[in-house]
Amino acid sequence: MDWGGSLIHSGGGGAARTFFLALFPPDLSPEFLRISLAATWPTLAYAVAGMTVAVLIGLPLGILASGTVISVPRLRWPVALASRFSLGGMRAIHELVWAVLFVAAFGLSPLVAVLALGIPYGGILGRIYSELLHDVPPEPLRALRTAGASPVRQLLYGRIPLALPDMVGYTFYRFECAIRSAAIMSFVGIQGLGYQLQLSLNDLLFRQVWTLLLFMLVLVVLVDQWSSLVRRKLAS
Amino acid sequence: MADSRHHAAVAAPAATHVVVKDVAKGYPGVRALAPIAFSVQPGERLALAGPSGSGKTTLLYLLAGLLQPDAGQLCIDGRDLAEMRPGRELARLVGMVHQQYDLVSSLPVLHNVLAGRLGQWSLAGSALSLIWPRERHLAEEALARLGIADKASQRTSRLSGGEQQRVAIARLMLQSPRIILADEPVSSLDPALAEEMMRLLVDLVEGSGKTLIASLHSPYLIKKYCTRVIGLRQGEMQFDLPAADLTEAVLDRLYDLDRRRPENGAIRQE
Repeated sequence: MDWGGSLIHSGGGGAARTFFLALFPPDLSPEFLRISLAATWPTLAYAVAGMTVAVLIGLPLGILASGTVISVPRLRWPVALASRFSLGGMRAIHELVWAVLFVAAFGLSPLVAVLALGIPYGGILGRIYSELLHDVPPEPLRALRTAGASPVRQLLYGRIPLALPDMVGYTFYRFECAIRSAAIMSFVGIQGLGYQLQLSLNDLLFRQVWTLLLFMLVLVVLVDQWSSLVRRKLAS
Repeated sequence: MADSRHHAAVAAPAATHVVVKDVAKGYPGVRALAPIAFSVQPGERLALAGPSGSGKTTLLYLLAGLLQPDAGQLCIDGRDLAEMRPGRELARLVGMVHQQYDLVSSLPVLHNVLAGRLGQWSLAGSALSLIWPRERHLAEEALARLGIADKASQRTSRLSGGEQQRVAIARLMLQSPRIILADEPVSSLDPALAEEMMRLLVDLVEGSGKTLIASLHSPYLIKKYCTRVIGLRQGEMQFDLPAADLTEAVLDRLYDLDRRRPENGAIRQE
């Protein structure tokens, strides 16, 4: 492979030094903090709304894809396969590609960010939900069955309660990823942390870049804390 | 008219609860149950004895409708088990206690007990009950009778083995089936809990004409709590005796213990 003799750009070291030195201190002026906070809000809002759509897509399709609720054997596998196929299609396309497609359709509306996040994340959640629901231990389900519980009642009283801690944990993990993705959505022109990041980068204002990155870090850490709080409550 | 009705009532055999007609079951490459036939009268407490792999669990699962027989017929009150609707109908007739109680560990005790009503509740009612518990008083009465009324709102996984065993019994009390099956109900219990479990099971059936069919190994428990014992080995019935007639020698032969004992076997001679 021809690396062109210039694998490392000669001025790169200097640029990297300037960039990392800007961490001390980041731009913490009240004015820029206000801008950062204002940019954090849409990012968080898109992530929350996107995950809501993702759960609304992922839960029903995940249940159908698990092949555990339809008692008619002739229907069960066609429905499961169709659900798996549609979930696969949703997550085969990256959220940024969905965003480009939706911008073309709806213009630069918040709906674009929400759908572009919700659809591929719904595909991912559905896939994981279906596996978690499918793989719960069979003994409690058998006991419910001998108590007269139909497959749907076994789902409500057995599969979901048994899989719920893992489902919630994974959903929160995906929520963190959704925050990152929501920030990146700005690269197609949608408001948020990524948009400010782009502006500051273009102006080589590295101190501002670090401020924005710190805001993102705090957001993800907060979600992580919330997640462990909820999971501890579920486990007790 | 009146006469013939009277006649029919007399001629009908006193509600034979369970009839097993030449039932056979196999799994790929294995014969679990050779054609086997017997019947069980209401109020009987039948023990199934035999080494592992003898077909006890298969027989219980067939009676619970968890498995379908390859051949033969299972009838309860004259009706073919295969023709009954699994939830609503079968659950009224047959209920089961499982080896490890098999409760849903992440649900509160209350819902594990109320699960005994799932065969009778509508789907919407079942779903809503998870938020607003239905027929709560039934569950609370059952738990109170078993002495664990204070545990209703606790997460089931927090309970001790003995308490979980009572939760499983409470579920069965709400289900209130006519025939109670128990698959190795005491296999993982210490002797005191084992006796308690048998006492609870016998209390459920005694005096109400209900039937108990349990797989058990201990001749002591069989004689104390059952009225009849069937010995199974490699899917075949070895004996069918009143529990009182069960002797150590009969059981030893069933479990092959007479040949495994060192004083009779090869181990000594070496």
